Amino acid sequence: MYRKQVRRRRAVLLLLVAASLTLLSLYYREGNGGPIHGVQDVVSTVFSPISSGADRALKPVRDLVNWFGETFDARGDRSKLEDQVATLRDQLARNQTQQHEAKELSALNELTSGGIVPDGTDPVTARVIGRSPTVWYSTVTIDKGSSDGVRIDDPVVAAQGLAGKVTQTTPVTAQVTLITDADSAVTARVTPSGATGVVEPDVGNPNDLQLDFLERGARIAESQMVVTAGFSTGDLGSIFPPGIPIGKITQATVEEQQAYQRVHLEPFADLRDMDFVKVLTTHSGGKKG
Amino acid sequence: MILTPGIIARLAVLGALVAVAQVVCFSKMDIFGTSPDVALLVVISVGLLGGSLTGAVAGFSIGLLIDCLLLETMGAFALTMLSVGYVAGRYRETLGRPTRAALVLVGGALTLLGALVIAAIQIGTGIDANVSFLVVRDALVKSLLGALLAIPVLLVVRLVVRSALVDERRAARRTPAPRPVESG
Repeated sequence: MYRKQVRRRRAVLLLLVAASLTLLSLYYREGNGGPIHGVQDVVSTVFSPISSGADRALKPVRDLVNWFGETFDARGDRSKLEDQVATLRDQLARNQTQQHEAKELSALNELTSGGIVPDGTDPVTARVIGRSPTVWYSTVTIDKGSSDGVRIDDPVVAAQGLAGKVTQTTPVTAQVTLITDADSAVTARVTPSGATGVVEPDVGNPNDLQLDFLERGARIAESQMVVTAGFSTGDLGSIFPPGIPIGKITQATVEEQQAYQRVHLEPFADLRDMDFVKVLTTHSGGKKG
Repeated sequence: MILTPGIIARLAVLGALVAVAQVVCFSKMDIFGTSPDVALLVVISVGLLGGSLTGAVAGFSIGLLIDCLLLETMGAFALTMLSVGYVAGRYRETLGRPTRAALVLVGGALTLLGALVIAAIQIGTGIDANVSFLVVRDALVKSLLGALLAIPVLLVVRLVVRSALVDERRAARRTPAPRPVESG
């Protein structure tokens, strides 16, 4: 009897592991329109209204927890304000949520109306409704999808600068791969020097990016701004329009042995705390949000 | 744990709710630079209460749903949570019910195991960029949060499946009934 149970347990375990590995390999092998992506699209579409509703409903809870974290960092002021804050906590969390959202939306509008959005681009405002629980996948899910005109490879900006690009869409949601994701690479230009390179992530560190393949002779200094280069060569072109702020240089050291320079930069956008983003759609059709 | 259709339905609803809550809420929290992995803790709790088979199936299902909700690589979270659920179940089957102190350690250790499995999958499927040392810090802080939250999450899961727990039924039967008060 016991041996039968053990055999059954092992069989189910093997079956589940095999199913996981099969899914993993098929997912990489098939294209975006494959059956596994199709199943994912259906499940994501079905759960989208629930996710969207839960995101709004649970935002005060999330903000409350985050508020506790920020309060912990500000220990110096804590004891003085503790009594006063305790009574106002709920009200404050609600007010801060509304204020934060309004501020973020306003900054987003300022950024996209400041001339960085090229002609023919139609920015679609989207709410961030999901985030990966691990640092290995720097992706977020937004509440706008292909029915809103969002397409794969559309650039995405946050309130302070470039956030990433759309990598998957369903009719009502889309996955945005952030510039801190291991698969991300963005051609960028340092201003005012004009030196160009490729911005790559430092996986696991959302506050650090690396600008690689810069010419050795280029004069790079700390605090200089890095923007998207938006190159175009014949049929080939960057998916990011030129001039979108990415970050500022924090460390610029020249290593003697390297053929190219590599500098560190801090992204302008707070990629761990975004509630709204704008997708720079370039396609007509679909309702705009 | 006795798996009746009612208990399976309860576990399914709990799994769906926790997967949605993980993606829309817990993953967006920032506690000491990381976020708590409550879905993984629910899988650990199911494994500790129901054994390896229940833990593995629950882990696979919740993980697959998270893969779908995030439009991530299908099978990555499923494989991670399946492994963690299975190990939690095997712990229960070989060492019995964990004490409170052991539960804290198991919560932390298995959360760390989850972080290692997902890292192994990510590295195994190819990674071109630099990997920061902060990945290690993230895994350690996550496992610390896992240790802190292990007991409350287990209590919630136990509440959901209480009627199916054989140990608790036996314990309830062993508790002597109160004597009737004699009057007159």
